[in-house]
Amino acid sequence: MTVKSENSGVDARTRPVPGGWVLVRLMGPALTIVAVLFGGGLTLGLLQSLGHLPAAGAGVLTVKHFVAILGDPDFLHSLLLTLYIAATSTVVAAGISVVMALILIGLAPRNRVVHFIFQIPLTVPHLVIAAAVAFMLSPTGLCSRVVLKLGLISSSADFPLLINDRWGIGIMLAYVWKEIPFITLMILAVLRHTGMELLEVGQTLKAGRWQRLRYIILPTIFPSLAAASLIVFAYTFGAFEVPFLLGQTYPMMLPVWAYKNYSDVDLLARPEGIATGMLIALVVAIAIVLAQGLSQAARRRGIVL
Amino acid sequence: MGELILKNINIRYGGEPVVRDFNLEVRNGEMVSLLGPSGAGKTTVLKAVAGLIRPERGEILIDGYSVQDLPPEKRDAVMVFQKPLLFPFMNVMQNVGFGLRMRGEPVREARQRIQEILALTQLGGLEYRKVHELSGGQQQRVSLARALVLKPAILLLDEPLSNLDANLRQQMRELIQEIQAQTRITTLFVTHDQAEALMISHRVSLLLNGRLRQVGKPRELFYRPADPEVARFFGARNFIQGRVKDGWFQSEFGTFQVPQGFTANGDWLTATIRPEDLRVSPDSQFEIQGEIQKINFEGSATRIWVRCRTTEFVVLTSEADFFPGQNVRIHLPPDKIRIFPPDSKEFEKIEEI
Ligand SMILES: Nc1ncnc2c1ncn2[C@@H]1O[C@H](COP(=O)(O)OP(=O)(O)O)[C@@H](O)[C@H]1O
Ligand SMILES: [Mg+2]
Repeated sequence: MTVKSENSGVDARTRPVPGGWVLVRLMGPALTIVAVLFGGGLTLGLLQSLGHLPAAGAGVLTVKHFVAILGDPDFLHSLLLTLYIAATSTVVAAGISVVMALILIGLAPRNRVVHFIFQIPLTVPHLVIAAAVAFMLSPTGLCSRVVLKLGLISSSADFPLLINDRWGIGIMLAYVWKEIPFITLMILAVLRHTGMELLEVGQTLKAGRWQRLRYIILPTIFPSLAAASLIVFAYTFGAFEVPFLLGQTYPMMLPVWAYKNYSDVDLLARPEGIATGMLIALVVAIAIVLAQGLSQAARRRGIVL
Repeated sequence: MGELILKNINIRYGGEPVVRDFNLEVRNGEMVSLLGPSGAGKTTVLKAVAGLIRPERGEILIDGYSVQDLPPEKRDAVMVFQKPLLFPFMNVMQNVGFGLRMRGEPVREARQRIQEILALTQLGGLEYRKVHELSGGQQQRVSLARALVLKPAILLLDEPLSNLDANLRQQMRELIQEIQAQTRITTLFVTHDQAEALMISHRVSLLLNGRLRQVGKPRELFYRPADPEVARFFGARNFIQGRVKDGWFQSEFGTFQVPQGFTANGDWLTATIRPEDLRVSPDSQFEIQGEIQKINFEGSATRIWVRCRTTEFVVLTSEADFFPGQNVRIHLPPDKIRIFPPDSKEFEKIEEI
């Protein structure tokens, strides 16, 4: 269902789409609340990160807090760790999701059970998943005890460190498990909508199995795969609870670092915590704008997301 | 070369038989249409030929070889779908060249073939257009070009005109006809539109409810329908019953000579006469009395429902000065009467559809 926006107003058969101003008026009340709560919070945060901290008696706006954190090696370590964890878990989740979607579209609609099981992680909160990962993978966790029982390791100290570890494995596992269904369902929607028909076209146009994957499936799902991945990246970049529970003490992921600074007894660390939060918000915003752009472009070309 | 033979094809969807005992032969260079109402199973037959569906029983031969075990990409048949289904992430040229690329044709030859086909389908100059920038007619032509460029032995067209408006439809129909005449590509053309089928094809095959009912030249199906159902599909509305006696069909609306070869004697048979062949007159020159029930002015013709005793006839006439309730007389020209052979379907059966 695509609407060619340029023509839709002229075409008598399609319902006229409300113009921009009508939309603004209709959605005014809701927009106002969002603007005040969200925009207000952001503005306040931005002001504080720029040194506007009435309680501390500082009144002049300055970018020195940004300069300070950007020059802080701890911040850079955190940033690198955050980029690494967000990117890796996103790429891994995306890769597995593509395979999952292809398997599921092959099973569908025969196998509703698989679909149902698949949707469970979507509804489980990140916090619960983080707790579950800790329960399973900690040195005294379930997995450790099972391999100990099986005699594969001689003591629980031999169990590899998978949470609060250097490489963020626990965090990434939690994210990958949680995000796979989201990305998979996004891809499945596109595959269902146009993918299957295009596959038949490709088949009759003499594309073999791998050619269909390479020249039809991947280009077809690319916009939604990229958009979903960007959203997941933005989330993992900015989310707090999973690294708080499963991360190591140094370096911390940025959201944890920002929180630590913000809640520091030293009031002067506070603007730096908020400045970090602002940078996180900026990265998240960029990712979401990119995702939106991709979806828009795809929709214009008739690939519905 | 391109010769298609379907032998005794049976197809089910989840237990439900959709196509039954289907036999058809499309000869080299021929354009045969597969005509039938929506849901008759036309697309299903095409997909079976293309290899996208596996028949439960039966055999499909392309150029004499069974293609039963070949996947679609190995069959020398290409299907054009009802919707253009162009690849949205490719431009016109890439769409048209897709099949050649998949077959690994050398780029230079491929480019030349693409240019030829673009010219043939009147798409010259649109090579680098994005597909969402094309009109519906252009998209459908790209979809046709994308198939033609592969020079398949068999071209399968699934209602390629049904998404176009009347004007474009005629242009596209003529284009397809022209291309087919020029390339002599063996074509199976699916449509639900009887006029389209009659105009475009060398032979028409009529599919009703998953069964092939009649195959023949357009005039044969139109003027000599095999049974009342086929006649009804082609717009016949007037059916009369009669009993055959000594070579004559005797009905309450007249006695007509039975064609040669009818062995029936004493049997009740059904006959039909097309609305445009019935004559109607306000004067008393004709023998059968009737009263006009309803009139539809259709422009070049007027459709009149005339009740004669218990039977209602539909008459199509070029005269427009009739009125409802008018007493008229009608005439059934004997040479326009089509008496169905005894083994054709009973009249009662067609009332169900
Ligand atoms: N994938 C499918 N699963 C189940 N039934 C189908 C499927 N495709 C088509 N059918 C049914 O098979 C019959 C024939 O369909 P189709 O070949 O598409 O008809 P046509 O092309 O003549 O309109 C219809 O009754 C349709 O509902
Ligand atoms: Mg169809």
